Amino acid sequence: MPEPRSNGDVRIGVYVCYCGGNISDVVDCEQVAAALRTLPNVVVARTDMSMCSDAGQALIETDILEHGINRVVVGACAPSLHERTFRNTIARAGLDAGLNPYLYHHVGLREQVSWVHQGNPQKATEKAIRLMMAGIAKARMLEPLEPTVLDAEQHALVIGGGVAGLRAAWDIARRGIRVTLIEKSPFLGGHMAQLETTFPAGEDARAALGDLIDQVVAHPLVTVHTRAELTGVSGYVGNFQAQITQQSRGVSQGFTHFAEAAEVCPVEVPDEFDYGMTTRKAIYRAYPGAYPDLPAIDWAHCDACGKCLSVNGTGLDLENKPATFDLNVGAFVVATGFRPYEPRRGEYGYDEHPEVITLPQMIRLLALAGDGPDLLWNGRTVKNVALIHCVGSREIPGVHEPQPDGQVNDYCSRVCCTATLHLATELRERYPHLNIFDIHEDIRTYGRGHEDIYTEAAANRVGFLRFHGDERPDVLPAPDGDSSPLLVRVKDYLTWGEELDVPADLVVLATGILPSPVDDIISLLKISAGTDRFLLEVHPKLQPVETAVPGVVLAGTAQGPMNIQEASAAASAAAAKVAVLLGQGSVKLEPFVARVNHALCDGSGECVAVCAYEDAITLQTVSDNGQTAQKAVVTPANCVGCGVCVSACPNHAIDVQGWTLAQYDAMLDALAAPLPVLESAT
Amino acid sequence: MTVKNVHVDVLVVGGGIAGMQSALDLADQGYRVALVEKEPSIGGKMIMLSKVFPTLDCCSCITTPKMSAVAHHDNIELLTYCDVQAIGDRPGGGFVIDVVQKPRYVDIDTCTGCRQCEYVCPIDLPSQFDRELGAVRAIRVPFSTAVPQKAFLDIDNCILCGKCQQACPVEAIDFAQQPETFTVEAGAIILATGFELTPAGAKAEYGAGELLNVVDALVMERLLAPTGPYGHVLRPSDGKEPDSIAYVQCAGSRDKTLGVEYCSRVCCMYAIKQAMLLSGALPLADITIYYMDIRTFGKGHEQFYQNAKAMGIEFVKGKVARITEDEDKNPVVRVELIEDGSKVVERAHDLVVLSVGMLPGYNPKSLYGVPVADDGFAAIPAPNIRPSVTPKPGIFVTGAAAGPMDIVDSIVLAGAAAAEAAAYLEEVRTPSPQRAAIEEAVHA
Ligand SMILES: Cc1cc2nc3c(=O)[nH]c(=O)nc-3n(C[C@H](O)[C@H](O)[C@H](O)COP(=O)(O)OP(=O)(O)OC[C@H]3O[C@@H](n4cnc5c(N)ncnc54)[C@H](O)[C@@H]3O)c2cc1C
Ligand SMILES: Cc1cc2nc3c(=O)[nH]c(=O)nc-3n(C[C@H](O)[C@H](O)[C@H](O)COP(=O)(O)OP(=O)(O)OC[C@H]3O[C@@H](n4cnc5c(N)ncnc54)[C@H](O)[C@@H]3O)c2cc1C
Ligand code: SF4
Repeated sequence: MPEPRSNGDVRIGVYVCYCGGNISDVVDCEQVAAALRTLPNVVVARTDMSMCSDAGQALIETDILEHGINRVVVGACAPSLHERTFRNTIARAGLDAGLNPYLYHHVGLREQVSWVHQGNPQKATEKAIRLMMAGIAKARMLEPLEPTVLDAEQHALVIGGGVAGLRAAWDIARRGIRVTLIEKSPFLGGHMAQLETTFPAGEDARAALGDLIDQVVAHPLVTVHTRAELTGVSGYVGNFQAQITQQSRGVSQGFTHFAEAAEVCPVEVPDEFDYGMTTRKAIYRAYPGAYPDLPAIDWAHCDACGKCLSVNGTGLDLENKPATFDLNVGAFVVATGFRPYEPRRGEYGYDEHPEVITLPQMIRLLALAGDGPDLLWNGRTVKNVALIHCVGSREIPGVHEPQPDGQVNDYCSRVCCTATLHLATELRERYPHLNIFDIHEDIRTYGRGHEDIYTEAAANRVGFLRFHGDERPDVLPAPDGDSSPLLVRVKDYLTWGEELDVPADLVVLATGILPSPVDDIISLLKISAGTDRFLLEVHPKLQPVETAVPGVVLAGTAQGPMNIQEASAAASAAAAKVAVLLGQGSVKLEPFVARVNHALCDGSGECVAVCAYEDAITLQTVSDNGQTAQKAVVTPANCVGCGVCVSACPNHAIDVQGWTLAQYDAMLDALAAPLPVLESAT
Repeated sequence: MTVKNVHVDVLVVGGGIAGMQSALDLADQGYRVALVEKEPSIGGKMIMLSKVFPTLDCCSCITTPKMSAVAHHDNIELLTYCDVQAIGDRPGGGFVIDVVQKPRYVDIDTCTGCRQCEYVCPIDLPSQFDRELGAVRAIRVPFSTAVPQKAFLDIDNCILCGKCQQACPVEAIDFAQQPETFTVEAGAIILATGFELTPAGAKAEYGAGELLNVVDALVMERLLAPTGPYGHVLRPSDGKEPDSIAYVQCAGSRDKTLGVEYCSRVCCMYAIKQAMLLSGALPLADITIYYMDIRTFGKGHEQFYQNAKAMGIEFVKGKVARITEDEDKNPVVRVELIEDGSKVVERAHDLVVLSVGMLPGYNPKSLYGVPVADDGFAAIPAPNIRPSVTPKPGIFVTGAAAGPMDIVDSIVLAGAAAAEAAAYLEEVRTPSPQRAAIEEAVHA
């Protein structure tokens, strides 16, 4: 094995972090530091309870200034968490010492060592030493790098026109940055438009939404496209090209005969706004007052019979001519929202008994119900209503049947408890004689003002029953002669686990929240979803609205269940991140991109053939010493540093900066080298 | 020390995670921010925690870098150990804020944080940071990861023996230091004044804070923290490792008798988190959680709860009526077992942890003119659409000052408050025709 070679003026500072016990509970950090101290070029090797703290970082700064350290290796948590932190430390000290922040290597001693080798401290310590030795070997060969600075397009694209998308667009525009908002459906507002009054304050949902929409569409920096979807993306943070495809509306500005046209339209389809409990025509508006103030033609159902044209032909065009256009944008806000869980046929009797409906349907039912003294459903007066929580949520693997995609919805949908009790209160106010049964596992009225809604429901004679998650209630037809058609059988733990039969004229399933289907957006933007199918943030604690893709942020229920308040807050936070990215007019890209050594490149083009990114590496005519030849040339902005070209190049002419082949070789040698011998173990 | 008058775009009040995040989100956009914190270090409650749910990240690993980023940001002026004294309107918009720098009795520019003073100080005091489990000196760096890493002297407990002055290698100690007042001019203000815990003595039924082996959850955070007072989980009365630990949920929340009717929102999750950490630290211990409802509503939280159940942590639906202690100082919990026919039983444990609630940390009414709602937290007139906007134009609120919330929700709302404040500043700079209408709508 070759001895690690000393490299001239290289002076390495090595730091081993305890990570507040996360590492040091398993790895003997002192021993690691002692072993590394013996290596060539290592000038100092220190430990600290948390290197990332101000005091820990100060150690590095002092060593740079006082010991002339010019390479830094830190062994700590994952680089994703703190590589940047330490680069900034070096940059800070480097202002005085002239040190480049990329003369840094981060070794993951937590995820790669202590967390995975808990049972074997000694081997774990040895592994830590080896990984650090490899890092030191690489550090000897590090070279200064410079990030690429590029102009950023001060224009953001918001995808989704629910409350989250609207709120994000408004904040970005108010900050002075241009925004385009695209909404897939013909109307803005998302699910909030389908609510009547909202918890926690009983606010009128469509009025509040209408105010927000008015602000957004009136803002001079906002452009809204309905019926528009993202169909292509290229480029990188600050400079994306977004391709947008827009279906025609079929109705143009100035058309004023909606009522008459709808009247004559012969096509009647279930109205999604009322979750199928009413019908609408193929020319429709989501609800009176919807934005834009124009109906749309439902292309999936319009059979172009032309009857509507007879009302007043001007302003109608019964042919869908999808149009495509491109936008240059600096960032994306994904606000594609949710869809309510749709129970399977037979799940709690859904789709089998007409008396079983979902909570979203129930909200629409109440909106449509009129002022009568009785709640009517299916031609009968409802006397007993049973509200069942957690339908399609909090499912237990092994107990509940997986969903059609094989997933078990094991998460809590967060809004249904409060929404259900809010509904119970409304039911009580409108129908004083109704018997209301609330059948739950837990009551999760966690938010500000929510507990009051629970207390109010309890005071309002709502009967509570409680089941265990693995013993959910059953909805069964009532025996002949019962006055209600259904009964809900609950093993109720508020009455010592007794099986109770609750009569029901109407069963309302508090269905949970699933993300909108956005596989296309996931693949276009190269973002990811978690095991719960919701879009995934980089770090749930530290960067809750950012994705792993620079320039793509999340807003609202696309990321997880949220109520309106939480969706608004997340959207504004996303807007703040967009402002951070684009507000300064330029973006910095990391320098970890491919670099071609033209002396070795023979212009074979194999790199170009394997590269998956458009225009990241191309063959260009390059003149060198009066000779012109075809050589590979990298466009740093388009290169993601994946290294595929490195492996394809027959001449070893390509390296990824910061991760060169020579650096890898040195690391491998170090990994295979004997462990340093310690004078005496402490 | 010279404190100049400070001109910034936004003043952030409170240096917990929420205030730090708002400050960073604004400073990263290029706005100038002043962050004023009443304590000698920033970090808030979060820096006292052990590990955080649901990721079980080591808390100082994710807090200290934020603290450091705040301290080193070119656009942030950090004002620790300062109190806001008065606020006036600035002609033409914005605020003029009188701030008093409390004397640290240590010159902050020369102190190197070497702690020599601390080693020689003869006065031992109960450590507030360690919830009175450990001791600190009258002069000290607030805690090991404090920002700034500078000593301060608790003058009320100092006997002026002068030992620290002799020990200080840079002559930073100045017993004659006086409070200094200066002004901050800012276009907008963000309140991030956080929360306080239910006081230990609040509930007579739970021993009114007199039972040694009944501790609050923040004490348990310190016991579990790697930087904690004992380095182990030991019970206070006799230093014994507890074999049986019980959590009493909603101890201070959802409780009419205390006037706290709301849910504190984080206690279910922190109790489950601590129970998991305890089963790691004390593998043989039995852990019971007495609860009314388990509210694990956040992203990944329900799965966290199910994991805890699978680990053998016992969840008992029960109302704890009273806690007393037996002759060995073991706490005895009198509990109504709701799922057992509401049978009332007494169960002895070695240690009981009260999952105490979150109370408002500060009332901004008199100084900032921001009213509070019935629950004592800042009033928010349009909670759905504008969750960080207070009734007072130009003043925004974030974190637990806006109601109980966990770290993620605080970070998110901090971003929202930053966005609102930035928009407010921009609209003041270039008034748009809609602005008046917006203000009217929100503040009506
Ligand atoms: C039954 C029920 C009752 C509720 N009651 C309340 C309440 O009282 N109070 C409260 O605070 N919250 C309540 N909520 C929660 C509230 O509805 C949500 O928090 C809120 O609607 C979320 O808004 P959003 O913008 O994230 O998503 P959405 O409202 O779903 O909006 C997403 C938008 O994106 C569009 N979209 C989707 N995919 C694409 C694409 N690929 N391209 C372009 N556009 C796309 C959709 O068409 C939609 O318009 C309730 C929820 C339910 C289910
Ligand atoms: C026992 C316990 C365990 C927890 N565990 C977790 C967990 O695992 N995960 C999680 O997500 N959350 C957890 N939390 C919740 C978490 O602590 C809070 O979400 C978070 O600390 C809120 O941050 P904040 O900045 O709003 O408030 P704080 O942390 O209270 O910060 C407020 C700051 O403002 C300062 N201040 C107050 N008033 C003034 C004033 N007038 N002038 C100047 N400064 C002022 C204070 O000194 C303080 O520094 C836990 C809470 C407790 C009690
Ligand atoms: S919010 Fe309530 S009903 Fe909805 S999934 Fe969570 S516990 Fe169940």
